[in-house]
Amino acid sequence: MSDDGKYAAQVAMVKEECKDADEGEIAKEFKRYEEEFLIPPADALRSVMRKFQTEAGIEVTKSSSPSTQQAAEKKVERFSDLNSDDRNVTIEVAVISYTPRIQKMKSGEERKIAFGWIEDNPWESSDKRERWDYKDWGDKSKNLAPGSIVRLEGVSVNEWNDKRSINVNSTSRVTTLKEGGPVVHQPSDEPLTIEKASAMEGFVSLVARVVSTKPDVIVKRDGSGQLNVVRGRLADSTGSISMLSWADFDHEPGSLVRIEGATIRRFRETPEVNISDSTTVEVYHDNSFASLDQLSSSVKSNISDLRNGMRDVEITLQIESWNQRSFTSKDGTERVVRSGDVMDPTGRCRLTAWCDFDPKPGDFIHLKEARVQSWQGSPDLVIDDISQATNLDNPAWDQIDPEDHWVDVDLTDLVSGGTRRGIRTSGTIVFVTNDSGIIERCPESLPDGNRKCRKRLRDGSCIDHGAQRGEEDLRIRLVLDNGVSNVSLLLSKEPAEAFLKMSQADVAEKISKDGQELFLTSIREESLGRNVSVNGLALIDDQGAMVLADSATLDQTPASDAANLVMQKWGVAL
Amino acid sequence: MGGQRRVRQSAIRMLAREYSDSSLTEVGAGEFDPSFVVTKLGARINRALVGGVIDRMERRDGDNGPSYSGSLRDPTGSHVFNIAPFQPELHADAEELLARFESGDRFLMILVGRSRWFEQEDGGVFMSLRAEQFTVCDKETYSMWLVGAADSTLRRLDAYEKSIGIDPDQNSMEEAGIPSDLIKGLIASREHYPEFDSENYQVGVLQALSAASGRTNLIQEAPEPPSDSGHDGNDAESDTITPIEPAGDLHGTIIATIKARDSGEGVEYDSIILSCVESGFSREDAEDALESLRDIDGAIIEPRFGFFRILPTS
Repeated sequence: MSDDGKYAAQVAMVKEECKDADEGEIAKEFKRYEEEFLIPPADALRSVMRKFQTEAGIEVTKSSSPSTQQAAEKKVERFSDLNSDDRNVTIEVAVISYTPRIQKMKSGEERKIAFGWIEDNPWESSDKRERWDYKDWGDKSKNLAPGSIVRLEGVSVNEWNDKRSINVNSTSRVTTLKEGGPVVHQPSDEPLTIEKASAMEGFVSLVARVVSTKPDVIVKRDGSGQLNVVRGRLADSTGSISMLSWADFDHEPGSLVRIEGATIRRFRETPEVNISDSTTVEVYHDNSFASLDQLSSSVKSNISDLRNGMRDVEITLQIESWNQRSFTSKDGTERVVRSGDVMDPTGRCRLTAWCDFDPKPGDFIHLKEARVQSWQGSPDLVIDDISQATNLDNPAWDQIDPEDHWVDVDLTDLVSGGTRRGIRTSGTIVFVTNDSGIIERCPESLPDGNRKCRKRLRDGSCIDHGAQRGEEDLRIRLVLDNGVSNVSLLLSKEPAEAFLKMSQADVAEKISKDGQELFLTSIREESLGRNVSVNGLALIDDQGAMVLADSATLDQTPASDAANLVMQKWGVAL
Repeated sequence: MGGQRRVRQSAIRMLAREYSDSSLTEVGAGEFDPSFVVTKLGARINRALVGGVIDRMERRDGDNGPSYSGSLRDPTGSHVFNIAPFQPELHADAEELLARFESGDRFLMILVGRSRWFEQEDGGVFMSLRAEQFTVCDKETYSMWLVGAADSTLRRLDAYEKSIGIDPDQNSMEEAGIPSDLIKGLIASREHYPEFDSENYQVGVLQALSAASGRTNLIQEAPEPPSDSGHDGNDAESDTITPIEPAGDLHGTIIATIKARDSGEGVEYDSIILSCVESGFSREDAEDALESLRDIDGAIIEPRFGFFRILPTS
């Protein structure tokens, strides 16, 4: 009770309203708000007061709910079907005019509004339409282009001086059904950097240095002959990009060229500059442009830069493991393929060699003209000829310990990059999917005889193999989020067991005892809003980003330490 | 991030004050495009990660099933959240919260929700969150959330300050070193909101950080002793603020609300404030005006704590 004095002022106020409430209880509640919920007594007054009023049976009015005021949707085709007080109206109209204007609101705020004409029955000729005024309160200028036909949803009717009009509110939805005038899209002649060009598709102009060229032949699919092309690589200080010329291309490596009207196309995930007959390629003079030597670092790749479909990759690697296996190819000959795990300071990947290449674990090697193929979703290096690889005499960096080689990658960088192995990232758990827990997998053997199907059964049935008696497996799916970017986070059996501190059998027992919902509630209690650090493989593709975790650990940093770090970071003090 | 369709929107850590101060919303043009609330500091919120102590929890039974509404209080204000009838997967947990709340228990929560708003004819907008997932949490988890929300707010404050005096377009903002995820929101915020003082948000951040460091008392003003004459000491701030200029409309709204809703018991504080917020006034102005009407004009009285009536003219 020694805290009583501290809260005396507030306790007295609550006591005045709730005569029967126990002062000790009231003080205890203030203490709880301060110590557990971190709300000082003066701020907690209203909450504590309400709690004791409720307990004393004093009626506390519930706040009115704005949601009950929402009118049902009214869908009409003609303005004549509308009443003067209709709200939440859906109608398709033709936009005739749009005039923006600034209006001063009662509150003193300036608001951008617009007015104009719309006509109903928009798919018919104008003599069968009715024209009304409208006001746009919701800044929908992008979708109310004159000449377009739009669907208005959630608009309301306004009547003033016997004249009706439509109000488009900011909660209204305007969907363009038919564009107004043709969208004018002017391709720019202004040259782009390779970094910017790589991110786009379509027409571009570039100024770049030719790094390499190599004549090649493309055999037409229909067997009608073959085409001579030139493949190569272009670079500037922002990066490099591969090139495919369908026209003559006789610029030597080292020359600086201005390319106008080329197109960027994508081969798998890798952008490529396509040069055709209609593209102009001219020698360009700029003494300040980076030389071939200076550009060599932008041509040399790191593992983190690798993308499926890349060619002409130059890279330095440390060998982690190396194996070979032989197999009988389709034509009956015995062939050998060698492959292993490789690392650099930015990550790890696999290397496959279709040649007589036998490095040892720990060796440093340098590859030229390697290509990148996707293997189980991750980009991996391939060499076809021993001349592409050299063993380095001197280590390129301090030996990396393969047992503990996780490269820290910020979640946002991870999501905007490509698929990578061996990464460590962190974020906050913001979602636990409802299918987390025990799932059943298809036990059917695949044709190669070595593996099982393992697809997840839905309602006891595999998409490929039909009804099955499934094998139980443990899997947790979460969403990891840093406030700017997010990824799906998949914990398979071992990492899930470690994360939950429960075996698969314990999980199965808990679910059968308490039910799936309570199991999910317990995972949310443990993890929602908590920061975690994750080691694993990041798969990034068109579908989004996913991390397959080797391990996931809840952050145990005390909040007061984290608060100090944030204050240092932004230079604020209490 | 590709700018592809159906990219999941990230959950922005958001203290209550910044969110409830917002009045700018952005509805996606396409049928399935996400909608956003844009705060004064330029956060574009489709999904938010919030926390606080539960301060209200109600159930309503409608034709489509039950829905729930509640408030979470953090050091800067309250987040209002809803659980809709079509979210049956959340109803069991919501019932559990309701039962605990109604038994008098109070507890900390973490909640992820999608932004929602209600707009009145005259332009007032009232912000809330539709719950997506939530959990009861311990003090440490809540404190870490406070730190994250403070960090996120400081990042926006920094970007906002850098954007002052910069042309509101993509290139100028990029050159000023503003993070790319904040540029669109800052441009929209600049066009919509009148000039404001970001000091309030700085104070909110310090309150959050000091609470998370276990120092709740440091920056709070000493509570005024209660005065015998009645109720003017019920809120520590009421005596320290300078009287505001009477804004006719705001006072009118308060008087009209009380007249309309008073059935003899008085009208509850939150209900009056909500009504003002719905009419387009800021919560802060409404709270000040309510106190000014009571303490300075004397036009209204607070016969019972939290309940207001018009001063009887006899």
